[in-house]
Amino acid sequence: MFPKLDPILHSELRLAVMSILAGSDDADFTYLKKQTGATSGNLSVQIDKLTTVGYITVEKGFKGKMPRTTCRITPAGQQAFSNYVEALKEYLSAGK
Amino acid sequence: MIDTMEQNKELTAQESLRLISESFNKSRKDILRNSAKYFILWGTLLTLTSLAIYLLWHFTGKPQWNFLWFAMPVIGYPFAALIGKNSIAIPQNEVSKMLGGIWSVFGVFSITLSAIAVFLVPMHITLVIVIILGLAECISGVLLKNWPIIIAGFLLGIGGAVFALLVKSEAQLLIFTLGGVLLLVTGFIMKIQYK
Repeated sequence: MFPKLDPILHSELRLAVMSILAGSDDADFTYLKKQTGATSGNLSVQIDKLTTVGYITVEKGFKGKMPRTTCRITPAGQQAFSNYVEALKEYLSAGK
Repeated sequence: MIDTMEQNKELTAQESLRLISESFNKSRKDILRNSAKYFILWGTLLTLTSLAIYLLWHFTGKPQWNFLWFAMPVIGYPFAALIGKNSIAIPQNEVSKMLGGIWSVFGVFSITLSAIAVFLVPMHITLVIVIILGLAECISGVLLKNWPIIIAGFLLGIGGAVFALLVKSEAQLLIFTLGGVLLLVTGFIMKIQYK
């Protein structure tokens, strides 16, 4: 029996955001937008979904006079991401 | 490559792992390439400052020109802050934070020890600073898993210490010129390695 893949993470844009955040302390909205090539609207929606399930936190502030939105992965998000990668490995090793 | 992600499509297991690996590596490279800027900045400053003091001391015969060392952080820190004010903020990771920590500690030690040597207790400051400079460079290489940087740090620390004991007065400053060049080279190696 294969473990069920987390539907929140099993989506291209949300997975890319989580992968970036898993390897860094935090990341700016503008950085995530540049890295993923997504539109602001779509990225905002996906970030909201990740925030709602508690995988990331979002902090709004200012850098100088410019508004700044910073995303950070939570321990629950780290765990979910790690479980997701393990599940993927099981799928792939079963397919060999 | 990560293209635009507008469809939020579901992925196969292989596509997912590839995406994770690409996203992770791309942001890691961005972070470390950003750290390279600081090596280039401080390398340039160290090279220019040491050369300037060497030439001034050599042609005037006055070691007081060494006070110019204190201008280095005054010029360097505002420039470093300026680099940090990118339009797109590059995130930090454990390696970039540790690199920042190592070189901040080096800066604090150098300034404090130099001040002590000038105002309180005379000491062989070139010897002390070249050893901690080599050590900081060597540890940076270990963190970056880069053998040329490790070897350069080792040679600078050990070779510089021997050189500092063998040569006198202003010629010792050339060790720091070499150290500055090594920092510059480290920065460029990082830029190429994480392109």
